[in-house]
Amino acid sequence: MHEDRRDKNLRRRLTSWVDGEREPKDQTLFVMEQRPPRRARQTEEEFERKDRDRLQKFFNWYPAAAAVICLVMVAVLLIAVMNMPGFGQADNPINNEVSDRYLKHGREETGSENAVTAMIVGYRGFDTFGESCVMFLAVAAVMILLAREEHRPADADTEEPEEERADLILEQAARPLIPFMLLIAAYMLLHSETTPGGGFSGGTLLGAGLILTSAAFGAESAQRLLSRRQYSAVRTFGLLAYGLLYGAYIFIGANGLQNHLTRLFLLLDLAVGLVVACTIYGFYALFSRGRI
Amino acid sequence: MIVLEYILLAGVIGCAIAAPLCRRLLASVIVYITMALLMAVLWALLQSPDLAITEAAVGAGVTGILFLLTLKRIHALRDRSDA
Repeated sequence: MHEDRRDKNLRRRLTSWVDGEREPKDQTLFVMEQRPPRRARQTEEEFERKDRDRLQKFFNWYPAAAAVICLVMVAVLLIAVMNMPGFGQADNPINNEVSDRYLKHGREETGSENAVTAMIVGYRGFDTFGESCVMFLAVAAVMILLAREEHRPADADTEEPEEERADLILEQAARPLIPFMLLIAAYMLLHSETTPGGGFSGGTLLGAGLILTSAAFGAESAQRLLSRRQYSAVRTFGLLAYGLLYGAYIFIGANGLQNHLTRLFLLLDLAVGLVVACTIYGFYALFSRGRI
Repeated sequence: MIVLEYILLAGVIGCAIAAPLCRRLLASVIVYITMALLMAVLWALLQSPDLAITEAAVGAGVTGILFLLTLKRIHALRDRSDA
């Protein structure tokens, strides 16, 4: 009986809702009339007193809470340290076959004489890919936040003092330095299979050379070297090239095909170097001028 | 050679302690860059040249540049009147 009535009630409500006769439940249109009467506005002193009370309460609890959190963290870390294996024992998990294999077979498996490059670009190439992605996204985020529009004369006059005249000493010091920096960067990028260096440090040096150019000779000469469109193209090309090349490397290696790509590390390091150089130069340009 | 390593280690620790204690922000950044450079020499002596290069390029160069740019942005370089 009761169920039946509720059922009928529900059906009537549904039909009326479908027909559009029932007014909407939240009654958005009439919300002004339904608002409860506003409470009396508290005075300034009352507000201040309440605020001070809250602050006082916070400061009462703050040292205790800080101490408790500190002690808990210390306890957690100490327990974690106690469960770790002892320092310098032979059967520790870090002394396993992986590092042995990297050192013994790295040269024939990756074709790189420098064990660090073999590890960074070869064995742990996906880590490097992730790091490159992080750099790419970091520059993209900084660009979104700081990049100014190219053609906006409205705030051009306000930003004029930022563009300082180049320093004579800096200019004269940079003139002989930049070619050597770029040369060493190229050497590191192209020669990382046998000598120390590689994508990250070589790319950093390349970016530093661009930064020095930009700082000593002004933004225009740096833009002549690497315009905004070129910058974006190089950045994207580096990441894509790395992903495709390393994907091919892994694919070919994992399928047991004969590996013809032992000289691939050169290209991989170059791609990483391009991404890193663009990241560093982009940070400098965006932070100092707001445009590339 | 081991004496040199200890001297460098002392320098690194001294710079690391001094960097946050400097009153001027510019001096703080310079001490930090010094620490990174000492660290780079130390890495080279410990036979890890890859790390040495990266430390010199990233730790000393790029981080220092970014710090200095930040100081310039917040106009902390002009202020010479702090006592």
